[in-house]
Amino acid sequence: MNTGAHVEKIVKLEALRARLDPLDDFEMWFWAGMTAGTHALNAALHHAGVTSDDDMFATQPGVYLVPRADGSLEPAFRPLGDVLHVGRPRVDGPVPEDITAMMRDMEKIEHHRDPCLREGVAATPAIVAECDAALGRCLQRLSDRLAREIR
Amino acid sequence: MNIEQHRALAGRIERSLTRCGPADYEMKIEAAMLAGTHRLNAALHLAGVTRSDADVFHTYLLTVNEYRRLSVAAPTLVAALTEIEDLRPPFVRGNHPGGEQAAERALALLAQLRAGAAGGIHQ
Repeated sequence: MNTGAHVEKIVKLEALRARLDPLDDFEMWFWAGMTAGTHALNAALHHAGVTSDDDMFATQPGVYLVPRADGSLEPAFRPLGDVLHVGRPRVDGPVPEDITAMMRDMEKIEHHRDPCLREGVAATPAIVAECDAALGRCLQRLSDRLAREIR
Repeated sequence: MNIEQHRALAGRIERSLTRCGPADYEMKIEAAMLAGTHRLNAALHLAGVTRSDADVFHTYLLTVNEYRRLSVAAPTLVAALTEIEDLRPPFVRGNHPGGEQAAERALALLAQLRAGAAGGIHQ
């Protein structure tokens, strides 16, 4: 998916996140942030020319739903486009330092995914603060990257 | 996680869904997936089909053998969660047209999972 479409998703997800209480709505707040960060990572990878921005939607590593002329979607093997999560799949080849930093921040967020969403660990203000800060840095790095192109 | 933990987390996620508007179709689908998975796990644990230390995360991460086994135990519930999961690539990760309608479908499937889990596994 192209960079602009990823940015549109981020704007929507951030607007929703702003309406949620980070602790009372932790599960949705966290998931919206993780999803926004993954869109940011994909946008940055496309912008850097590391991954393809073709109009296709990731189902599992290596397999994408590809739109057909009649509007339907066909699963097909394709070279790396959007990643599902940071590290899934791993991005081979040189990755610019700012995007590597985004990946590190996303790993900090993802570290809390299964414990808090699937294993019963209660969210805390410290977890909220860590995730919020990591996402903020991730989105700022994307914004900085896209702004450099405009100057 | 045990049955009560699954129910509590599903309930929290379903409550947060009330904060979503029509345009928030991505998180409606994701919330349906998350809450629906907890509803399925609660039903499977209650029926003794799976243990509390062997939760389903995503149906597509199950072995084929386990997917078939759970589909025998709870065919409607497993099918509902699978259908929700299939909405994620085009509408959450992607921008395929029809996201709002897909979200309404996801919420209807979540309602099936909630009702099925409450009513027992042979739904």
